[in-house]
Amino acid sequence: MSGILWWLSGAALAFLLTAGAFLLLANAGDSPSDKSLRPDSPSTPSGPALELQLPKDRLASLEHNPDQNLAISIRNAGDERLSDINVSVKVSSENTALSEARYYRSSVESLAAGEIVSREFALDLSVAARSPEPARAIIEVRATTPSGVSSVRTAILPA
Amino acid sequence: MTLAALATGCGGATQIVQIKALPAGQDRADFGLGPGVRPLSHGPGDKSAPAWNPTDERVAFVVDGYVVDKPLYNQDLRRWTTKDFGASRSEWRSSEGLTIFAESPSPDPEEPGSVYRTLPKDTPFGVEKIAAGALAMSPGPGGEGLIVALETSPYESGIARIGGNGKMDQIYTNLIGGRVTGISLSPNGGQVAVAARGAATVALHVLDLATGDSKTIARLEPGMEIHGDPQWTRRGIYYVAGEEDTGESKLAPDHLYRVPAGSSTPEPAPGVGEDFVASSLRLSPNGERLAIVGRRNPASSTNLYILEPATDNLKAVTANEDMEIKTGPYDLAWSASGDRMAIVARGVISGPRVLSAPADTILTDFYNLYEVPIEAPEGDAP
Repeated sequence: MSGILWWLSGAALAFLLTAGAFLLLANAGDSPSDKSLRPDSPSTPSGPALELQLPKDRLASLEHNPDQNLAISIRNAGDERLSDINVSVKVSSENTALSEARYYRSSVESLAAGEIVSREFALDLSVAARSPEPARAIIEVRATTPSGVSSVRTAILPA
Repeated sequence: MTLAALATGCGGATQIVQIKALPAGQDRADFGLGPGVRPLSHGPGDKSAPAWNPTDERVAFVVDGYVVDKPLYNQDLRRWTTKDFGASRSEWRSSEGLTIFAESPSPDPEEPGSVYRTLPKDTPFGVEKIAAGALAMSPGPGGEGLIVALETSPYESGIARIGGNGKMDQIYTNLIGGRVTGISLSPNGGQVAVAARGAATVALHVLDLATGDSKTIARLEPGMEIHGDPQWTRRGIYYVAGEEDTGESKLAPDHLYRVPAGSSTPEPAPGVGEDFVASSLRLSPNGERLAIVGRRNPASSTNLYILEPATDNLKAVTANEDMEIKTGPYDLAWSASGDRMAIVARGVISGPRVLSAPADTILTDFYNLYEVPIEAPEGDAP
């Protein structure tokens, strides 16, 4: 009788130990850190950052002709003041055999964190119309600072 | 395929989570043409006429009328011609040389073109004209040399053979009636099939390269014309044909036809279905399969299909979502190994697009080359 009790208590102890070990393993393996489950919060850039904005409604009304006015917004999206921002615009055709791209430049002397300024360019988009086949026009805008902060946006206009 | 099973929970419930492995190729981004499709170029430029080199390590193509080539997966472009060259297609002559077909600079589309070969690559943009008055060209038997169709008069064309040294080896005295619009080799390389537009009708001719004998094997209905090169398979000669281009909008789409071996009567190509709209086709290097750019019916999107003439089995190898696939006769090319194809496509845009990238890195907004994997036919798998 005592042998049976001894055997039963031994089996119960073994069961409890095994179950405990499984629980430990299960908890260890199934508990991703809170960090990995947390959705990405909206990025709040730290350090310098530039953002370029090209108004789509204005882009939609541009024609493949000279003197097409386009206002480009430059926003300081970082947390430091930026100075001597160079803004350059390259207008070209989708047709790479036409080498006559048009280049435009402007600058922003200083831009506080979060500040936004606009620069207007009178673009000659006729270069795309010179292609023998209908070609898309490309407006490539870059903003750069001497400290190496930069941003690029490319607009593609249908033929 | 089960990769892992996780035991979870403490209440006695066990949840088995199966993680399936992705089929080969689906770990890549989808570029709007289906799984496994991979870009071979990017940036602006009206790209066309891809051609794989004999070792499938490089691809040549035409950009806005000039010829470049590049390693498959990087953008180290090598330009072979001046930008105003007017090239329409190229073929690899060897791993380091190209044959280039250039259109005439004349605005008259009926003006014949010229065939050039590239000079050693230390000669910048060095090309040598090897044939003038050219109407069509095909690689020669075994990939050696070239077969060209030449304009001899407004009503007749000649066939000539150009050797690997760029010299005209043989000019066949039997002329082809009409203006040649396409040419291709027979499966054994002993003959060429020639499409030619005569005064009244378009006809298919065959010329024996050993004897020079030629004969007309089929004639199309009046008002119909063949687009691109006919493709000669063991099951007959296939071609895309439709209404003659009169400059006005076409009402009827183009279809795929076949002149069965030993027959002189063209028939709708079996296997594709009567609604199938064909645009261009190319025979695989082993001659067993036809790649076709086309549509299942006039309302469906354009895709790349593989037709096996031996079984009449047709299979789509792209899953076009919203891309515009080029449909020119040379805008699709088999790799030398026959396990890939190159096609040209771009995204459709109806309004302006703004992207956060320099223009020369943008892909789908311009015509670019895409590599499409082609599975081996069933039974051919290792």
